[in-house]
Amino acid sequence: MDWSLFVDPSLFRLTLVVAAPVLLASLGEVLIERSGVLNVAIEGMMLLGASAGFLAAYRAQSNGVGVLVAMATTALVGLVLAVCCVSLRASQLTVGLALFVFSVGLSSLLYRLVIGVRTLTPKVTTYGAWATHGPGLVSWLGRLPIPVYIALALVVLVHVVLFHTPFGLRLRACGENPLAAESHGIPVFAFRYGSVLVGSALIGAGGALLPLLLTGTYTDLMVGGRGWIALMLVIFGRWTPFGVLLGAVLFGYVEALQYSLTLRLPHVPPQFLLMIPYLFVIIVALRAYRGAQAPAALMKPYDREQRS
Amino acid sequence: MTVPEPSAQVTGASPEQPAEPPRAAVATPTGRGLPASSWMWVLAAYLGALVVVLVGLAVVTVLAGASPERALATALRDSLLTTAGLAQTLNRMTPLLLAALAFSLAYHVGLFNIGMDGQLYAGAILATGLGFLLGTALPAILLVPLLLLAGGLGGALFSAPAVLLRIRWGVNEIFTTVMLNFVALYLVAYLCTGPWNDPMAGEAITRPLPFRAALPLLVPSGGGHSGIVLAVLLAVALAWFLSRTVFGLEVRSVGGNPRAARFAGIALARIQITAFCVGGALAGLAGAIEVLGVYHRLLVGLSPNYGIIAILVAVLGRNHPLWLIPATFLFAVLVAASDSLQRTAGLPASAVLMIQGLAVLVVLVMEAVRARRARFVV
Repeated sequence: MDWSLFVDPSLFRLTLVVAAPVLLASLGEVLIERSGVLNVAIEGMMLLGASAGFLAAYRAQSNGVGVLVAMATTALVGLVLAVCCVSLRASQLTVGLALFVFSVGLSSLLYRLVIGVRTLTPKVTTYGAWATHGPGLVSWLGRLPIPVYIALALVVLVHVVLFHTPFGLRLRACGENPLAAESHGIPVFAFRYGSVLVGSALIGAGGALLPLLLTGTYTDLMVGGRGWIALMLVIFGRWTPFGVLLGAVLFGYVEALQYSLTLRLPHVPPQFLLMIPYLFVIIVALRAYRGAQAPAALMKPYDREQRS
Repeated sequence: MTVPEPSAQVTGASPEQPAEPPRAAVATPTGRGLPASSWMWVLAAYLGALVVVLVGLAVVTVLAGASPERALATALRDSLLTTAGLAQTLNRMTPLLLAALAFSLAYHVGLFNIGMDGQLYAGAILATGLGFLLGTALPAILLVPLLLLAGGLGGALFSAPAVLLRIRWGVNEIFTTVMLNFVALYLVAYLCTGPWNDPMAGEAITRPLPFRAALPLLVPSGGGHSGIVLAVLLAVALAWFLSRTVFGLEVRSVGGNPRAARFAGIALARIQITAFCVGGALAGLAGAIEVLGVYHRLLVGLSPNYGIIAILVAVLGRNHPLWLIPATFLFAVLVAASDSLQRTAGLPASAVLMIQGLAVLVVLVMEAVRARRARFVV
């Protein structure tokens, strides 16, 4: 076997492209979990984002519109999650699972209702390489599709907001000790609602990138566990944007490697290669859980009038 | 309220109190009875869910461009009102009930098993493989129980890594079971297109099993197999085990208060592993039953999201084995009805997922509202 395929520049490019949807989704989840809410519906939200984003992009012939519609749609699901888990204090896990199932059903229903059954699969033009004059220093890094840059910029933005602004400090306080936060006049409910809405929108954008950046078509269950993987990456990245970036790039590398291995090794059944990313995630999970410290109030509904 | 763990080590579900038991889970066998006055409210919750289901079905059929009353009448006939329809419902109910039992058994020891689909496929793989191997060598009376056992073994083996990783390294079992779902799915895809492929079929299914490797039929006219009897018996047996045996007491105490259970000298890990793997075995058994009772071969679409629907069923039935029986029946009617709507109204198969998710959400919201109200009564 030719070992140079592991360090192929085009492999690195593909790594970043494949990592972008997962990266956006895990960034959204970081925001949500930092405020003390666990969103297990992330897989369903990504799928809904993929479906709504694809349909809007297909109708409007504009990928930007697609991403925006996807963000709005998943933010609505996030609103339901926030009402149930923040205001009504229902169990975040069960509500999340119910919303996950709901979104999975809704996304393929939407597609079927808008597109119907066709022999020819509708396609959208994916975000191509950014062919305008990028920074010429590293030629391959300067010619990636534009959403990849936006995702990378968002990593920095979320990091700065979370760890270097008073706003971020308050948000994290809501996730660590809401009672103490509120005694300092921080509106815990507003922060939780806000972070769930923004985070869900980011998750939807990540989902929308799957058809708009990677495949160009929508298929049922196309998310293929990336939502759960994003949930994992949040733990792997210790609830920090740059940690999540590292995890997403690792996952993207393995997935990109699986694509190129499928081309290079025709005699290996492709299904075994397709298993690699999932097995890799399980192995990574072994490492990820050692000493992981979740936000202290994660999954604990905040009850303003509770006597401790 | 429970005392927050000082250093919850993990997210999702922390090892000490993994399943912040839903506030709604009032009447689980772990205790806390429901005040009598709120029965009305519970009834309202479930009726509300039923209304949501009916309205949702009607809306979806209209959107799909069919007349709702005709389509719904056909759906009701195909799921409940004819013998064949009832047989279909019972066939759907069998794997759902077993998978829901798997989820609730893990839930009772504080673990979340989201991998029933994977365990179902693992059981189906082992049963099919053994069926190919022994199908012509043994008489049916030995073969069928043996294959069912193989299915259970496959499910148990496939669920074991998740619980072992959880106990040894604290890896949240939600992720491992979900990832193993995909592994199982690709394994089935490989077997169906590769070594066991039926060259005559031209699609991703395996060769049929020998004729004698089939479950006896319960309702011959509609193809209803006897797996449902097994599933209901297992549910009853599980209810008895949980409420009347030492093992059941240990299971409930591990799920109710792991710290107290540990101080009471209960081997936490042993109980968790046993309960989780028995659950996996039940899901694997469901896979074997699907192979032996319905399809007589292995195929990629063997489980149309049974594992996911089973989670909702378990939430709806409060994880109590006996309450799971009616809850599963209702959802099986829904699945069979949506099969019918798929034929008559061109409804996509997964539309039923949306409606089921919505129904469970309604119940959860109503329960949460009740829990809030209950505060002010005291």
